[in-house]
Amino acid sequence: MNKDILIIGAGIAGIQASLDLAEMGFMVHLVEQLPSIGGKMAQLDKTFPTNDCAI
Amino acid sequence: MLDAGRHPNIDLMAYSEVESMEGESGAFEIRICRKARFVNEDQCTGCGTCAEKCPIQVSDSFNMGQGTRSAIYSWFAQGIPSTHTIDAKYCRQLNGKKCGICQKVCQADAIDFNQKDKIVNLTVGAVIVAAGYDIFDPSRIPEYRYRDQPNVITSMEFERLLSAGGPTAGHLNRPSDRTVIEEIAVLEKKAKKSEKMLGKYEEKYKMVSERFYRAFQSGEHGDEKDSVKWADKYKAYLEIKSKREALKTRAERFSTAKNLAFIQCVGSRDFRFYQFCSGYCCMHSIKEAIIAHEHEPETRSVIFGMDIRAVGKGFEEYKIRGGNHSNISYHRGRVAEIRGGPDNHPVVIYEDTISQTVKKEAFDMVILATACAPGKSLKKLASVLDAELDEFGFLKTNHLQPVDTTREGIFVCGCAQSPMDIPESVSQASSAASRAVQVLMTYRKVS
Ligand SMILES: Cc1cc2nc3c(=O)[nH]c(=O)nc-3n(C[C@H](O)[C@H](O)[C@H](O)COP(=O)(O)OP(=O)(O)OC[C@H]3O[C@@H](n4cnc5c(N)ncnc54)[C@H](O)[C@@H]3O)c2cc1C
Ligand code: SF4
Ligand code: SF4
Repeated sequence: MNKDILIIGAGIAGIQASLDLAEMGFMVHLVEQLPSIGGKMAQLDKTFPTNDCAI
Repeated sequence: MLDAGRHPNIDLMAYSEVESMEGESGAFEIRICRKARFVNEDQCTGCGTCAEKCPIQVSDSFNMGQGTRSAIYSWFAQGIPSTHTIDAKYCRQLNGKKCGICQKVCQADAIDFNQKDKIVNLTVGAVIVAAGYDIFDPSRIPEYRYRDQPNVITSMEFERLLSAGGPTAGHLNRPSDRTVIEEIAVLEKKAKKSEKMLGKYEEKYKMVSERFYRAFQSGEHGDEKDSVKWADKYKAYLEIKSKREALKTRAERFSTAKNLAFIQCVGSRDFRFYQFCSGYCCMHSIKEAIIAHEHEPETRSVIFGMDIRAVGKGFEEYKIRGGNHSNISYHRGRVAEIRGGPDNHPVVIYEDTISQTVKKEAFDMVILATACAPGKSLKKLASVLDAELDEFGFLKTNHLQPVDTTREGIFVCGCAQSPMDIPESVSQASSAASRAVQVLMTYRKVS
């Protein structure tokens, strides 16, 4: 059984899924097409509903 | 974000794409292309010296085309991995011209013009697609004049303007005003160059240009070659100066945008484009209006929408707070048209559904809440993964198994599945992770 997993896209969704699986002990390969991870959320100033900083 | 970059169980491959996939659930064979950055990821310290010295400036896509970046760049300042990348499309050296400045100034010796794309082959038990969405292009709605009116912008452009790390350092300077300021800077540069040139004649003939020019005009200097040239140069200089002064006078009246209109459902709930509600846009417009008001307490915002959909924990309260404390008013109705107005103040034409009359009002800036468009990259991904797309172009799922795609062993979460906000994306991500674990733990090795 192969216990590696591939995650395509490193926006908030891909990052969350990666961290969950990595914490459970699985090996995660996280592929992102842009030079850095973060997706759209990295471009936001703050986020609703708490107005926390996005990065 | 930092945690994902550091976790020992996460093999982060940024600037990479999945090229092909074979096999089946439990043992997928994956081929990944790691695109050449022409910068060694492990050596680059992210100091930014290269970007400072690079002579090529291109439009900055992280800031949605507002402002510029160098051909060697970091996607954004705190980006992970914290490495720079050379944009092969624009780099002089990589296009056969002489340059290599970045290589000369890089103390870490990280630049490698010979780097090639690298293929990585992997076997994985399961796949999660989290490829997100695209911003709807509002120029598809000609009556909103997104491209024609400089002060009609998208919400994402507005987010970048609000950001301290954005192109205006968080000030709401209007795009039309910024263009004038940029023009003034260009004219300043030209004037300086002109002055230097005139200085050479002044030194040679021991005379200030102004006196020479008066004399030349009254015919004193005849048509000697130098005199004609000097006179032409001085005339051009005067033109630059008067243009600059006129723009400067105009710029004295500029102030930051304080009267804002937010237009909801741009591309969403619109049968010409997407029938669905994008879910997050009502809330992000309220948020943007609240932040604008925090930056400048004189700000007034009007949010135009068919209704405000504040569905989520604490959302309705957030909306009401915006109305009570951040000078936001909510206008019911769909905006029919946005026209140009005096001084680049866009005019919003709308039906007031309470008085049932057509009204118009001018604003400093108009912000379009664009739809969550299915990502263009999903089409190719779906064919590589042999998973189906739905009628709009998101990954197809079943209502009772919202994170399972049509292909066994492949899951989806976030806006690649359908429009959703961050809290929902995060909870879908955790459920996709847990579905994937079921595959990883229970399947016997195939083949
Ligand atoms: C203007 C605006 C403001 C918003 N404000 C808020 C807010 O305040 N609060 C809130 O909750 N939500 C907000 N949202 C919604 C929020 O952006 C989304 O909910 C969230 O970003 C979805 O995350 P995601 O990971 O699914 O997608 P994305 O953020 O789009 O991430 C997808 C990632 O996958 C990568 N990718 C795509 N295709 C491929 C491929 N083929 N191979 C490899 N990588 C790929 C992309 O480059 C990207 O990094 C806002 C949206 C907009 C437009
Ligand atoms: S490539 Fe070199 S100069 Fe550029 S950021 Fe990295 S270490 Fe600094
Ligand atoms: S070689 Fe390319 S990236 Fe480096 S400084 Fe010159 S143009 Fe910029």
